[in-house]
Amino acid sequence: MGLLERSDAYWRFAGQCTQCGHCTKACDSLVKADMTLGDIAHALLEAERTADSADELRKNIAMNGQLVQAVRGCFFCTQCKNTCFAHNDVCDLIYNARVDFQNLGLIPRDTWSSVLVDEEWDIFTAYRAIHGIGFADLTRHVDTDYAPAETGFDVAFFPGCSLAAYAPQLTREIFETIEGFGDSVTMLDSCCGSSLRSAGFFDRAETLCDKNVQELVQSGAKKLICVCPGCANDMRKAIIRCAADIEVISLPQYLLSKGFVPKNALPDTPLCISKSCQDRDGTYLEQTCELLGVDPSTPTIFHGCCGAGGAVSAFDPDRQAHQADEKLSFAPEGSTVVTMCPTCTYTYAFRLMSAPRNLTNKHYAELLFESQIDWEMNFYQLNSMWYGEYGQWLAEVFA
Amino acid sequence: MSESMASKREPVVAIIGYGTGGVNAAIALRTSGYQGTITVFSNVDTLPYSPILTSYYASGEKTLEQCFPWSAEELAELSLDVHSNAEVLKLDVANHAISTAEGTFPYTKCVIATGSTPMCYGFPKVEGKGGYEPIVLRTLENAERLKGVLNDDSCERVLVSGASMVALKTLEACLNRGKRVTLVGMNPHVLDFNALPESAERFERGLLGYGVELRLGQTISAVKRIQRQETARNGRDWQLEVTFSNGDVDYFDEISVSHGMKSNLDFVEPGSLEIDRALVVDEYMRTSDPDVYAAGDVVQALELISGQKRIVGIWKNAAVQGACAGKAIAAELAGKEPSPEDAYKGSISMNTIAVKDILFISSGTMEITPNRTLEIREDDDMTVLYIFEEAEEGDRRLVGFNLVCDHSEEGSPAYDTGAMLTLRIESKAATKPA
Repeated sequence: MGLLERSDAYWRFAGQCTQCGHCTKACDSLVKADMTLGDIAHALLEAERTADSADELRKNIAMNGQLVQAVRGCFFCTQCKNTCFAHNDVCDLIYNARVDFQNLGLIPRDTWSSVLVDEEWDIFTAYRAIHGIGFADLTRHVDTDYAPAETGFDVAFFPGCSLAAYAPQLTREIFETIEGFGDSVTMLDSCCGSSLRSAGFFDRAETLCDKNVQELVQSGAKKLICVCPGCANDMRKAIIRCAADIEVISLPQYLLSKGFVPKNALPDTPLCISKSCQDRDGTYLEQTCELLGVDPSTPTIFHGCCGAGGAVSAFDPDRQAHQADEKLSFAPEGSTVVTMCPTCTYTYAFRLMSAPRNLTNKHYAELLFESQIDWEMNFYQLNSMWYGEYGQWLAEVFA
Repeated sequence: MSESMASKREPVVAIIGYGTGGVNAAIALRTSGYQGTITVFSNVDTLPYSPILTSYYASGEKTLEQCFPWSAEELAELSLDVHSNAEVLKLDVANHAISTAEGTFPYTKCVIATGSTPMCYGFPKVEGKGGYEPIVLRTLENAERLKGVLNDDSCERVLVSGASMVALKTLEACLNRGKRVTLVGMNPHVLDFNALPESAERFERGLLGYGVELRLGQTISAVKRIQRQETARNGRDWQLEVTFSNGDVDYFDEISVSHGMKSNLDFVEPGSLEIDRALVVDEYMRTSDPDVYAAGDVVQALELISGQKRIVGIWKNAAVQGACAGKAIAAELAGKEPSPEDAYKGSISMNTIAVKDILFISSGTMEITPNRTLEIREDDDMTVLYIFEEAEEGDRRLVGFNLVCDHSEEGSPAYDTGAMLTLRIESKAATKPA
């Protein structure tokens, strides 16, 4: 007890696992590692027990390929937890392990240097700056050169990093719709910190979320509308942590409460809904179906991670691609895949460009609003910014 | 505290029981900074093992080594003074003393985590030469016996009496080893108390599909050990003649019985601690005596749907409750109040069982009261029963569900649905005033 920052958590998890092995069977990464939740916790404790120094501990862990696979190959999709007969939260264990991996220098810097979303520049803020995407007029609770900070808002809108960067028009249209319902609204164009968490910067992710809550409190907003179920989960936890009196609601829930009518007709193609692994209790899926007037039992629904979770792409890019392909294979030929989380939309769009299929890929907000996401342009802009006049700057910033 | 044996010495925390509740109490004590003596009384001489895995071990799915969640090296780190084969005979609450055959041991604080024992209520005395003790399943010793039966080619037919989770896992172990299985249960359906008839029926259809003979609504009236009528099979020259409550007679090679569980509290003197169906505890797992704590199958703790104190005897609860007790004791011995953050938050009843690829998941309550409604959704793969409760403000909330899936494997959508519904129940239950 001592070398690992999170050893208390490993003791706790070791004690909660029955070692039945059902979690292993539910996850490709755990199958590859041939480990259960308990095995992971015990392996970490053993690595600590047999080490006299941090350097020895690092070597012990690095030499345990199964352990590295289990910890770095996790999408945080909760499939293991869902399958665990005791509902043990394996993801929580992995988050803790990532913290220790990060502390021990076991996660290479080049895999996370561009996603430090609590710093001035990350991949999203850089993309937005280079391509002139800004929302200074919508972040009304913030003091800017253009306008002083306002307060007393009814609601705050949280589009999340991906939507704000890759769908600025859609972001604005949603904001204007909220405002159109007569609610005074401001926008938080910050991040929930999930990429920090995946990289093992657990405390920094919590600090970022807590800072978001402080901003919310200052804005006076009593409701936070989240587009993405993952952002909603993290912000809910932060609000509880900060003991703030703010309700987190999903965008579909908000729209339902206002009697919103979708601006688009449903696509002619069959719908196939990807239930985001972050949509833990399925409310985004159900509320979206209700908004679209679709019986939840009608469309094909596939569950699980799109492959973007847990920064697995930085560890095993083939697995990420395989995961996305596998999920898309559930979609019937010619159908429209509807995603709940904008990062899922991004992941599937990228995959469909790399390996085209006869599928249409839409975020649920694209079915509700007129603005659409131009992925071809986004990928072009994402790629080109590394080679244009900002290329050198980016390489230096994210070195 | 009365004039106790322990009060004159350094603090001693005694843990009665060396299972998940006891070990997690010890872990929490150490990780909370308690450095004093921890004395553990175990009625066996093995490392702590997982009773959940006994059926897996018996059927060969797990090795013996895999049944022990903690290694000797890990446990050594906890610096425990373990008394093996030391069954506790008496807990003297007034004098802070524990008696075993070895002698009497003082304690400052005590954790009771002795688990439960499967019962054979109603199983008749077996007549005939040689007699017969039915198979039960809880301990490693029990599992060794079942393993022997499953490996015994002369055993072809097994009667499983009882329809609970333990009975069904025994049944699965038998199926996995090619035995012909008959299940007899006094209730009209399997999955006692956890399933509503509509979901139990689907589960039963799945069992029938695997060739299981079901005798539901029946009990065993008589069992007689007799000489085999035909030639002895692989050396087995006896069999069990079973008479059922409806008058039917059939013949089996072995009988497994799971007729409920009983908390192991024989060493607690009547009246010394508040016992309802088990030890009644507060949010820090304290019993009615402030120096005695308890965890696992021996406690009635907060159940969130009912707001009442109930036994929810599952492994994770034992682990969490043991940890709560350990943290609270560590705080008290350090002269502090236990932190509300470390209090037991309560649980909901939840069960998952898979027999071959037939999956059953339940969470929350199965009680249909006047303010609750039942909704059933059924398709080719799955039946889901939802129990909704009308809330005062006009909302309705999910308070329980049953899910049965005929063809599920780990990671399939059925598990995801089960987890999703459990989360909904938990999130609402946690906010409901008790």
